[in-house]
Amino acid sequence: MAAVAAGGPLDQLDEQQLVAACLDGRAGAFDLIVERHRRAVYQLCYRFVGNHEDASDLSQDVFLRAYRGLKSFRGGSSLATWLYRIGVNVCLNRVAVKKPLMEDLDARQHVDSRRESQVDRVLREERGLQVRAAIAQLPPKQRATLVLRVYQELSHEEIAQVLGSSVGAVKANFFHALGNLKKILGTEEDLA
Amino acid sequence: MAHLVPDQFVDLADGVLAEADVPHLSTCADCRRQLADVRAMMAEAAGVEAPEPSPLFWGQLSARVREAVAEHPVRRSWRDRVRQPRVWIPALGGLLAIGLFALRQPPEVLAPPAPSAPDSTLTLHVAPPLPPAGGHAVERAHVPSLPPLGAADDPQLSLVVASGAALSWDEMRDEVALSSAGASSDAVFDALTVDEQRELQRLLADEMAQPAAPENRS
Repeated sequence: MAAVAAGGPLDQLDEQQLVAACLDGRAGAFDLIVERHRRAVYQLCYRFVGNHEDASDLSQDVFLRAYRGLKSFRGGSSLATWLYRIGVNVCLNRVAVKKPLMEDLDARQHVDSRRESQVDRVLREERGLQVRAAIAQLPPKQRATLVLRVYQELSHEEIAQVLGSSVGAVKANFFHALGNLKKILGTEEDLA
Repeated sequence: MAHLVPDQFVDLADGVLAEADVPHLSTCADCRRQLADVRAMMAEAAGVEAPEPSPLFWGQLSARVREAVAEHPVRRSWRDRVRQPRVWIPALGGLLAIGLFALRQPPEVLAPPAPSAPDSTLTLHVAPPLPPAGGHAVERAHVPSLPPLGAADDPQLSLVVASGAALSWDEMRDEVALSSAGASSDAVFDALTVDEQRELQRLLADEMAQPAAPENRS
């Protein structure tokens, strides 16, 4: 039945059928996978490296690795979870060899700021930079856990699948990540 | 009473666990303060917004991925190739044809040959030529026998020779739907470049995706 359905229009296929179509060499199947997941993958990468250029390169790398390893995708988890797993590995490898270069305030494309004063906006963005820099200093697993939980809004169970650990370990990592974040930010405030 | 553990703090901050279900919280100022810190840090982290790229970026990212994939094609193992329907379907058809043909043979042809006597001989028949394009029936070949094979030849060869002598092209074509057309199309398909094969697949997929034309009722 899956084989029959996999012969239909690509945009009507579910994840498993789309992967099967891709493995069968159907043109456009992988393009559709990229289209469906590119935003989430990019945002994950951006949260790790903090700048658009690196996030863009890493996103491309994530999808290339996914394409080359697609036949190892067994469907035990969702395709998104599988892509997040690749994304976390790619990002952690990158930040292990290259310190993230955070974009400065001027380089960022801004959120809606019409309802806040110029001063408030600058303060909020300044604080955002501090928090992002603090997150970049967290140990790799704590950082990955925090990014997946807070920004990608994955459940602890999904994060456990992505990181290959237990739910208890994920909660402990999240708790310690928040504790370390407070310490780093507190230290910076004391120094200021 | 023991302090709360990380799991409980996270569950309380997530709202999975109600404060009322943790009596210790009402009696321990340290745990209440720590829970407040957890909540504050979660809110602080969540408040950091990521910039949204230009709408044009998504198309550019897809194009970059497409180029990267084209530059690094996945080489398939022979197992993967064999699993392709265009390979195993003709192979399966061929096996079925051979099986059906073998089943239709009289028992004496399929029976194992008697042990070779020292002076036993084997007559080899030449297979009939293929019919012309029109394809009229070809009578069982009556060709002069070749010189007899020696007794030392493989006895299984006698079965193949006997089967070949009994072979009628029309019988094969009509009864087991054996045709050379599939092999020809495979050869043509294999001769195409990868891009041409993809384009052909795309065209076929588009064609198959179109709804069937309504019947002509006139």
